[in-house]
Amino acid sequence: MELARKFKEMFSTVPMIGWLLGILVGVLIEFYWGYDYISYYLGLPKIPVLFGALIMLKEPLMIPGAIGYDLIVYVIPVFLVARVTTFATNPLATFLEKLPLIVSVLIHLVFFYFILHLWSGINDYRELVVRLTMVSIILTISINVINGYQGEFSCSHPGFMAIGAYVSSILTLLLFTNDKIFGEALLPAYLGPWFFPIALVLGGFAAAIGSLLVAIPSFKTRGDYLAIISLAFMFIVKSAVENLNAIGGARGMGGQGEFAPLWVIFIWTILAIWIIHNFVTSILGKALNAVRDDEAASESMTVKTRKTKMTAFMFGAFWAGVAGGLFAHVLAYINPGMFGINRLAEILAMVYFGGLNSIIGSIVGAVSINVLGEALRPLELFKWIIIPLILIFVMIFRPYGLISFKEFNVKRMLRAKSKREQGA
Amino acid sequence: MRKVICLLAAVLVLALMFSGSAYSARKKIIRIGVNAPLTGDIPKVGEGSKYAAMMWLEDIEKAGGLEVGGKKYEVELIIEDNESKAESAVKANTKMITQDDVLAIVGPQSSKQAVPAGEVANKYKTVMISPWSTNPNTTLDRPFVFRGCFLDPFQGPVVANFITEEFGFTKAAVLYDVASDYPKGLAEVFKAAWEKKHGAGSVVAYESFTTKDTDFSSQLTKIVKSGAQVLFTPQYYNEVPLIVQQAKDLGWQGPIVGSDSWGSAETVELCGEACYGLFFSSHYAAAGAKGATKAFIDRYADTYGYIPDDVAALTWDALRLVQKAIQDAGDYTGRVEKDRKAVKDALAQIKNFAGITGNMTFTAEGDPIKCAVIVKINDQGEYEFYKSSCP
Repeated sequence: MELARKFKEMFSTVPMIGWLLGILVGVLIEFYWGYDYISYYLGLPKIPVLFGALIMLKEPLMIPGAIGYDLIVYVIPVFLVARVTTFATNPLATFLEKLPLIVSVLIHLVFFYFILHLWSGINDYRELVVRLTMVSIILTISINVINGYQGEFSCSHPGFMAIGAYVSSILTLLLFTNDKIFGEALLPAYLGPWFFPIALVLGGFAAAIGSLLVAIPSFKTRGDYLAIISLAFMFIVKSAVENLNAIGGARGMGGQGEFAPLWVIFIWTILAIWIIHNFVTSILGKALNAVRDDEAASESMTVKTRKTKMTAFMFGAFWAGVAGGLFAHVLAYINPGMFGINRLAEILAMVYFGGLNSIIGSIVGAVSINVLGEALRPLELFKWIIIPLILIFVMIFRPYGLISFKEFNVKRMLRAKSKREQGA
Repeated sequence: MRKVICLLAAVLVLALMFSGSAYSARKKIIRIGVNAPLTGDIPKVGEGSKYAAMMWLEDIEKAGGLEVGGKKYEVELIIEDNESKAESAVKANTKMITQDDVLAIVGPQSSKQAVPAGEVANKYKTVMISPWSTNPNTTLDRPFVFRGCFLDPFQGPVVANFITEEFGFTKAAVLYDVASDYPKGLAEVFKAAWEKKHGAGSVVAYESFTTKDTDFSSQLTKIVKSGAQVLFTPQYYNEVPLIVQQAKDLGWQGPIVGSDSWGSAETVELCGEACYGLFFSSHYAAAGAKGATKAFIDRYADTYGYIPDDVAALTWDALRLVQKAIQDAGDYTGRVEKDRKAVKDALAQIKNFAGITGNMTFTAEGDPIKCAVIVKINDQGEYEFYKSSCP
């Protein structure tokens, strides 16, 4: 404990930009020397893709090599550079603090994206995992609006996602792809990337309108009964799509264009985090909490409960629809079976694992469930024992999830950290 | 501060010391990927694929490696679980292609995973053979994607012809899962073939249910009342026993006919005597097999304790096809892009490959031309060869 405390103290003076710089150095080391030198001399067949988790579980003999690789490439350079450069990064952070917040945030984000791009560019599998994880982040934050901030137990998220995925796929397939279902493309393909955001937003709107089917019953019912209604909504969407042969039915729909590369998904994820954060910290967002905690009391305090509930559902569903559209274009294939009870379990696991009522918690939940799911892949069946066990333990020790009821403050995160401030 | 540094240094030194194969040169290994549903809805299918693949590897290892162009190379199998989910199959394929540098992939088995996974394989120009996927879209416009079985548009008419010739019936009923693409596709093809033979309206009942339904009594009551003489149900091993037993309970007298999805060992295990005497179309028949097929079945049964499903046999054939293609390609350079292309070209050239599920020749689309087998479940609960039907 003493050691951990000292360790923490040692790095308490590193500002965010310092950490980013450290990670950049680590990634650059991997990029230039990872394959030819470091992994070669450690006896690894290739650059370990997810911090060596896959190779460690598959071949226990490789464990020392993989740990050594992680130390050389990530741990040591990141901590060393972050600590050593504080003399430069702290003044830099102070300088950035003087700029308008939005500029400073943008600089950090661009820097972060650059690192992410470099890191995931080393291997396409890594990139796919990163892209799907970011889609999960949008999905988890959007369900947090309904299940966390608004406090209803809604099970209809896969349905919203399906609506968004289908509407945006139909649009892009109809307009830009020659395919079997809709025939010739109506517009030239180069317009595709420009139109894609519109398709996503339209998918989101369709999901928002669909969500009214759940939002309106929520005026009168709550709790378990609303959960059943929302579950029914999910099955209605799934069965409807299965029986609509015009859009592929159970066979699904494939061949969506590649409109969702890493940077597009990154921008949408940042947009989702920013807009949802602003929403839940606004007056309307606080009204959601009021309605959740006591509907009658908030009604008497002039909160319009019906409007609040409707807004929460439509807003959450909109982002679920956007996430669905991105998901469809990452995989370039969708079928109704993807948006069933399994997906619901996954989404609920992410949001309750990460923590209710917290955006940062949702991000942590989405990232950990996704990364765990991939890292434990070699264990096959045991993966489905270990992940639920972890979930159970989290629920025992932290009943509201890892990080719940906590908002993040961008200004605080990015500011310079000098010794003096630590004492205060 | 000093303690931390000391600790880090110690861990690093230890890690370096114990990394056994440190400083060893990278070997030229042939890696073959298997993308199978080891967990999820149909784990038995995944198990069959995995066991067949392990048997194949055993053979290669016994021979001291795979001989290509006069040199022997070590072969490694990368078996990935696709959880019976489309996105997981896509991830597994991407991982095997970009991380493990596999030369070819065998799998995924079900069409709902094989269709999106085939997209990935084709994009990265890697050969993929799906042993069991019968959906035409799997290989359509994808030069790098092949399959090991016949397609639904062939199987449907085979079953329709068989029923007509064997029993002389004119009125059929169909019961299928509307939410799963294989049963749905095959039901449509069968209906079209049947109506072409016996005129419109000869399919007197066309009933559907949804995946994971376990009570079929309302559909079956309609079917019994419709006056159909035969029931066709292209379902998987987890539903067939329920359908057969419930149909008998509701007074169904006629035969029930199925498709290749019945071919799992579990079907009879779960169904028991109720399924004896029924027919289904399949890729091969285990009981009464001869030659290489018999050798495979006996070896599998000895090692794993049960008669292999058609999935295992098809996976075995797919792996042998890959093996032959690698050997035909002639030269293994170790540069994976070049080798993958050579394997694909060699695979497309293969003529009259003698597999344990019949002889195969690939069409330009990557689909094999091969015979279907009508199997009878005999009174010992074995799958017996009854008839074969060739294109």
